Amino acid sequence: MSSKSEAYAARRHSGSAKAVFLHAITVAAAGLLCFQTPARAANAPEIHGFVEALYGPKLLGDERTQKDEFNVLEQRLQLKAAWQPSRSAPLASWSPKFFYKGDLVVDEYDEALRYQIREAHVSGSPFTWVDVKLGRQILTWGTGDLLFINDLFPKDFVSFFIGRDDEYLKVPSDAAKLSFFSPWASLDLVLIPFFAPDTSITGDRLSFFDSFLGRLAGEESNHLLTEPSFQPKNTEIAGRVSRTVGGYEIAGYAFRGFFKHAMGIKNQDAQELFYPELAVYGASLRGPAPAIGGITYGEVGYFDSLEDRRGKNRLIENASIKYLTGYERDLPKDLRIGVQYDVEQMLGFTQFKASVQPGDVPRDQFRQLLTLRITKLFWLQTLEASFFAFYSPTDDDAHLRPRLAWQINDQWKATAGANVFFGQHDWTEFGQLEDNDDVYGRVRYSF
Amino acid sequence: MKPVTSMLLALVLSATVWMNQAAQAAESPSGRSVMEQMLRTYYYAGKDVREDVLMRIVNRQGQVRKRHLTMLRLDQADGGEQSYYLYFREPADVEGMSFLVAKHPGRNDDRWLYVPAVDLVKRIATSDKRTSFAGSDFTYEDVSGRDLDEDTHELAGEEAVGEHAAFVVKSTPKRPEGVEFSARKFWIDKATHLPLKMEHYDLQGKLYKVYEAQEIQTIQGTPTITKAVMKDLGNERFTEIALQAVSYDIGLSADVFQERSLRSPPTQWIR
Repeated sequence: MSSKSEAYAARRHSGSAKAVFLHAITVAAAGLLCFQTPARAANAPEIHGFVEALYGPKLLGDERTQKDEFNVLEQRLQLKAAWQPSRSAPLASWSPKFFYKGDLVVDEYDEALRYQIREAHVSGSPFTWVDVKLGRQILTWGTGDLLFINDLFPKDFVSFFIGRDDEYLKVPSDAAKLSFFSPWASLDLVLIPFFAPDTSITGDRLSFFDSFLGRLAGEESNHLLTEPSFQPKNTEIAGRVSRTVGGYEIAGYAFRGFFKHAMGIKNQDAQELFYPELAVYGASLRGPAPAIGGITYGEVGYFDSLEDRRGKNRLIENASIKYLTGYERDLPKDLRIGVQYDVEQMLGFTQFKASVQPGDVPRDQFRQLLTLRITKLFWLQTLEASFFAFYSPTDDDAHLRPRLAWQINDQWKATAGANVFFGQHDWTEFGQLEDNDDVYGRVRYSF
Repeated sequence: MKPVTSMLLALVLSATVWMNQAAQAAESPSGRSVMEQMLRTYYYAGKDVREDVLMRIVNRQGQVRKRHLTMLRLDQADGGEQSYYLYFREPADVEGMSFLVAKHPGRNDDRWLYVPAVDLVKRIATSDKRTSFAGSDFTYEDVSGRDLDEDTHELAGEEAVGEHAAFVVKSTPKRPEGVEFSARKFWIDKATHLPLKMEHYDLQGKLYKVYEAQEIQTIQGTPTITKAVMKDLGNERFTEIALQAVSYDIGLSADVFQERSLRSPPTQWIR
């Protein structure tokens, strides 16, 4: 238990550093606001947002989790404000811009009221060839559709599986993003001093395969996740070089940081997991498919598991190479289809096989995943019917995501959907979630 | 009548007919050239432009949806390649989204959509240009122009629209598959070359969609349609489009039309 409180202490500490960081941005914004003369009141920040209610009853009434009847029941208020100082303000030539987006959530699952800052950043161009964005921000790059290789920015798969808006798949990073532009290529450099992992499934809301218990588990699962501490040497760095040639986007990526999932076991008896160091090098290509039309893309990434490069340590995830290829096209009458094929090749597979112990989860050297997306718009583009499926022939599991979204008018939107999981085995990515099937409904008023 | 006389008469007659035809050809241009002139005037006005586009989409029940976006356009050459940048302001749920189009006459455009909530730059497949633009009664082709060579254009006469003398051009698709109309009829202003009116005929030859220019302003010496409506007769709905804050030749450069502008809108033009 002592290590648990330490881990929490570490989180608290890093939390306060983050708070200082966010406050600094707010103070800077307030400072510049003071320079505004009353005559410039037209330049006041614009405020938008939405209120939303979401309910997602469980189809199977899984009793392992905190609540048996539903996966999600919450009401949300989101406010966002953007503000640009007038052209006469100090540093106006940098075109500074402040942006804030925060959510207030009444979460009846956790029985808690939560305030989350989704974004709070200042951005600008100190030189014509440089863009800077500093603060809490959402970061995305890469080519996959709901599959990520070189995008190592944090994600929230709990939100994704219970029916929150797609927006919440992305977890914000407290980061500095620098972008450099030249006629030959663009370079993006992201520094993340405050480690943010993927929001992982812990058993409270979604039951999952607990490798320590060797079975499906819910609330009783008691993992201790130790995050890298807030230290300069633990700053994550992600980079991308990109350019577009004749309609084709070419990019190279590099990342040095930590696995976003707790892929290392620190102490088996204490059920303590950690986020091992990771470096990733990759590339992607995206552009029009010759002859047949549509868009095609491919992406590859070499995942260098820095604390177990040769795969000898069975407690730490091995290195791997991930490959992705996809194709998307539109058909008449607002119909779109997309398919993707994804392969994850474990390196050091011989060592993995040799060190496997009884009770360890079996793995394939090549894990394969196929996805299918079908989207069709009806009623003059106000009703969107979509279907997304993940299917792994090697894991024998699948995840289906049907959804109907109706834009009633410019303010109101109603969405209904489902998350359905299938699997032959309890330990595969989607198979473990089999008891969490849900349907959900969302109603949103935007302003 | 003597054979010689009758031959002479026939010669004179046919010569007259021929001369008349030649004279007519000199006076009235071909349907294709009228159409080409219109496309260049309407879709390639100025070297570049910045404008606010406001749309009101009104359905059968009288319910109104609004769209407000700022558009930047840069032409590489008149009648040739173009770049478009669109920044959405309304409605609230699409506010901040932006859209980049590299228009290539004769082949599919390159299109990117930026979704700020997830910082996602999405590539959009574009083989079907007949889909609605932003849920309105305008199609992508209405907004950015249909390739001249997609149709055969025939000059069907002249007819005034209000006070404007106009050429009437009938355009028939060369490849009927993939389009929902059998023909379109244009009324093109003789003076400004702008489309004053356009009618769509469905596959049964029935009129189902009508476009009408409602206001033309001369901006920086360029006649510009600042208000227009597209009526969908079958669905009893219409979309009004209005252009505001139009400025031509503002000195846009090609680097505005890059991924950079999707992720951080160019504040010089988009405020």
